[in-house]
Amino acid sequence: MDSEDDMLDANDSADEDFYSGGEAGLASSDDGDGDYDFADHDSDDSAELLSHRQQQNYSILSEDDIQHHQEDDINRVSTVLSILKSEACVLLRNYNWSVSKVHDEWFADEEHVRKVVGLLEKRMEIPNDRELTCGICFESCPRTSMSAAACGHPFCGACWRGYISTSINDGPGCLMLRCPDPTCAAVVGQDMVNSLADDEDREKYGRYLRRSYIEDNRKTKWCPAPGCEYAVEFVMGSGSYDVNCNCSYGFCWNCTEEAHRPVDCATVSKWILKNSAESENMNWILANSKPCPKCKRPIEKNQGCMHITCTPPCKFEFCWLCLGPWSEHGERTGGFYACNRYESARQEGAYDECERRREMAKNSLERYTHYYERWAANQSSRQKALGDLLSLQNDKLEKLSDTQSQPESQLKFIIEAWLQIVECRRVLKWTYAYGFYLPEHEHAKRQFFEYLQGEAESGLERLHQCAEKELQIYLEAESPSKDFNDFRTKLAGLTSVTRNYFENLVRALETGLNDVGPSTSHGTSSKGTISKTLGGKSKSGKSRASSTSSKTSGSNRAVDESNIWACEQCTFANPKSAKNCQACNHQHR
Amino acid sequence: MSGGIARGRLAEERKAWRKNHPHGFVAKPETMADGTVNLMIWHCTIPGKQGTDWEGGCFPLTLHFSEDYPSKPPKCKFPQGFFHPNVYPSGTVCLSILNEDSGWRPAITVKQILVGIQDLLDQPNPADPAQTDGYHLFIQDPTEYKRRVRLQAKQYPPIV
Repeated sequence: MDSEDDMLDANDSADEDFYSGGEAGLASSDDGDGDYDFADHDSDDSAELLSHRQQQNYSILSEDDIQHHQEDDINRVSTVLSILKSEACVLLRNYNWSVSKVHDEWFADEEHVRKVVGLLEKRMEIPNDRELTCGICFESCPRTSMSAAACGHPFCGACWRGYISTSINDGPGCLMLRCPDPTCAAVVGQDMVNSLADDEDREKYGRYLRRSYIEDNRKTKWCPAPGCEYAVEFVMGSGSYDVNCNCSYGFCWNCTEEAHRPVDCATVSKWILKNSAESENMNWILANSKPCPKCKRPIEKNQGCMHITCTPPCKFEFCWLCLGPWSEHGERTGGFYACNRYESARQEGAYDECERRREMAKNSLERYTHYYERWAANQSSRQKALGDLLSLQNDKLEKLSDTQSQPESQLKFIIEAWLQIVECRRVLKWTYAYGFYLPEHEHAKRQFFEYLQGEAESGLERLHQCAEKELQIYLEAESPSKDFNDFRTKLAGLTSVTRNYFENLVRALETGLNDVGPSTSHGTSSKGTISKTLGGKSKSGKSRASSTSSKTSGSNRAVDESNIWACEQCTFANPKSAKNCQACNHQHR
Repeated sequence: MSGGIARGRLAEERKAWRKNHPHGFVAKPETMADGTVNLMIWHCTIPGKQGTDWEGGCFPLTLHFSEDYPSKPPKCKFPQGFFHPNVYPSGTVCLSILNEDSGWRPAITVKQILVGIQDLLDQPNPADPAQTDGYHLFIQDPTEYKRRVRLQAKQYPPIV
């Protein structure tokens, strides 16, 4: 049985591994803060990968942090430009909370900025009459009950309250509120809202302001996990997009979907769209709405002309037919009903193309189902593993510590194993989306990919089984078991082996399996070379096979393929002279 | 919400209008069958400007106010099928100051609305077309457009 052999192989390699690298792992996790990272490995060929994972290129912000950051920014602008805080706030909001942009624009052309944003140079006082007429309700009121923005247009308290409330209830557009007078552009800032609106509206306005700080700022995003209130500040231009929020949810900064290495964002979004359980819903949205070309919110057109204006704060004006900006339309383009881009697109058959693609998708339904089922199975397996991990942490580990008379700190290897399982399930899940989009015609790649995936699947099964079934025995035991230390060695070893394998798998897939030449039709030889790149599954494998032989066989491949043979068991590429595989000692037939 | 200031404001609008309004314009709240006045619907007449193709016409316009007025603008409707590039086939006027998402401010008066629409009659906004017929003629066939406007002005003679 192949899998039996594999298992033995993994076990004894695990022994070595545990004493060399594994122990370092345990030690570091003891003093660690519970954060799980892959960085405690000294494996040389993954050093590069690890180093970019090591540096955290983001920080997690709590609600308080957000408030402080925002206040700091506002104070900075307010001090530098010597303007009121509420004015600084309006300015920042208008320039997407970029302090440097505000400074640049302001010092380049203060007058223009003031005009755009609605900040008056000089404050006008309310006319000095005892009684004034409110411009909204037309009632005359005593001067003391009237208020005005910097422009001095007086309105009564009740009308201000109504005006502000209506605007706040209409959405985040309220952050750009102007004076109710039709000829006036003076801005109505948070100071006025706070003095004129009721508690509920003030609270809402504050929330919109905080939301805007995160959502309109290019450097920050909310954690997309349901119910999570943390935000993430990300440093652009750094390697990985993976973010681990304090709520334990891992997601991709770029597309805000769940973390999905090794698959890229475009593939993930295609895949998720495909999976959308509410496919009927999706069909309806596709048929009846279009996303705003600027902010991407779906827009349903229920009446009126082709000139669409997205709701505030986006306000993008575009043509419903061609989705181009409206500013490029009108008389010059031959009128709105004959949007010529639409006509030409139809003539060129772009719409038939769409139709044809839809047809093809239907035909590939069966193929899709195959991948989807496996994707979903790993997904639910991951959910289950997360649950198991939780119940271990909450209660079972404590019991185990009692029965086996081991301090809990000595049981961390179990948590490590489960964390690894969760991570592997995630990776494995996404390899199915990867496989679905791997072009049919690249036979060599496909073959090799499926081989790697199969190995990953069985390696993970091995670890999962050990962590689940074998652990059960010790959980149920009444007294300390003699072989518990052996179990520790085995599980820690398997964890480490699997971790290595998956890290290498992720890397190979991320680089698009480019070690496989597109024209390579000879499956086995390419298999051999790549699995060597994958580190021969574990460090022990590598140390046993001399590194020179593996490297030379790699570079020789193109020159002379007949000089090597791929092991039937582990696919290691061996020189022709070797009778047994240098990696697993399997006899060459 | 502004809690029912709509009627108070409309009563004040009515007073202000009676005191002073531009020549040739009519604006009065609807009178129900039982003789009571409904301040929420106003029947108005807008005269075509002198010296334009619209001259001589007295165009009926209905203003529909909501309880949210003056936070939200009223809906302004000409008769169905009214010929003008910026009037929807339903008769609803498409004008920036009447758009709650952009131009509307609560301090805009009925008088300003009516004068604004009178201006719009002879100065259509080709960037914001609302009907095919009026828009196409306005862009492509100015002579025919003029003819149709004059014809429409005759269809709405002043009520003496």
